[in-house]
Amino acid sequence: MRSSISAALAALLMLLAPPTGAQAAEGTRIQVTGEIIDTWCYYSGVMGSPDAVVGSAHHTCALWCSAGGIPVGLLAEDGTVYMVLKVGDDTESASGDTMLSLAAHTVEADGMLYQRDGLNYLVVANVVSDMDITNQNHNDYGNVPPFSIPDPNK
Amino acid sequence: MKHLIACLALIASPLAAQDFSEGSKAKSWNLYAEVPAKFEAEVVDVLCTLTGDCPEDCGAGKRQMGLVRSADDVLILPMKNSQPAFTGAAVELAPFCGQTVTVDGLLIDDPDLGAKNVYLLQTIQAADADPIKANKWTKNWAKEHPEAKGKGPWFRRDPRIKEIIAREGYLGLGLEEDQTYIDENF
Repeated sequence: MRSSISAALAALLMLLAPPTGAQAAEGTRIQVTGEIIDTWCYYSGVMGSPDAVVGSAHHTCALWCSAGGIPVGLLAEDGTVYMVLKVGDDTESASGDTMLSLAAHTVEADGMLYQRDGLNYLVVANVVSDMDITNQNHNDYGNVPPFSIPDPNK
Repeated sequence: MKHLIACLALIASPLAAQDFSEGSKAKSWNLYAEVPAKFEAEVVDVLCTLTGDCPEDCGAGKRQMGLVRSADDVLILPMKNSQPAFTGAAVELAPFCGQTVTVDGLLIDDPDLGAKNVYLLQTIQAADADPIKANKWTKNWAKEHPEAKGKGPWFRRDPRIKEIIAREGYLGLGLEEDQTYIDENF
């Protein structure tokens, strides 16, 4: 009885142990297609619903947030968000030129996926194809936020 | 058996959802899924932590920074600094690369969107120092862009943003599409 309790405890301790660095650094190669989004507006809801803070409606704000150093994500067709940490040789994931140039574009990416503490992190080795902006949602949502296009009458 | 249950409860307790709101002075942004959170953490370069690609300065504010929470080893991704100006947190945290600090701010926890362990950073407190506000981004930008000095917020004056909008339009679909939209909506 005592030995089975000890074994159960040991097994439980192994299960509960936090992941080690080696475990956390284990990546998986993936190919994924999705839109390069502004993750803060998407996650926080500060500018509106998730459908409104993507695509052409949100292109200007996505530029602002990317240039401002907010993490850029890839929103896959199944709704999964991947935090992009690197594209090709460009490690500048905070306000970098490569990520800025891809704001609101739909891309097919080939890279390494790292998962930790509920978030997906993507190191993009290669943008296989850049389809430009495919989500033309401005007729549904307008420009989000409304001040993203200066009023020409003012 | 009682001892076993007590042991299991003791072991499992740190894994239960922890409340980091105690002592937090974070200001609300009235966000749907915000939760105040003050905690001690090591400031890390996320790319370094995950892949082993580690510059000494954590990328000097050009890489996304992370906070590895002391209490549970969870990697928190700070997405936002405290300025309501489309500005991230990497520039604020980079000077503390490798240090253990106490941060205060808002966790965003929205399971429907997959938002977990993401953070709006409001203050940073290094050991034996007073907390400082995480609001240096715009000042840093102004220093890096003296040519863009002028009226209005930084994002209206940023040379890279202006260049892309001049080429692709506000909607990103070309200047003609922009004009049609503006004519119909303004």
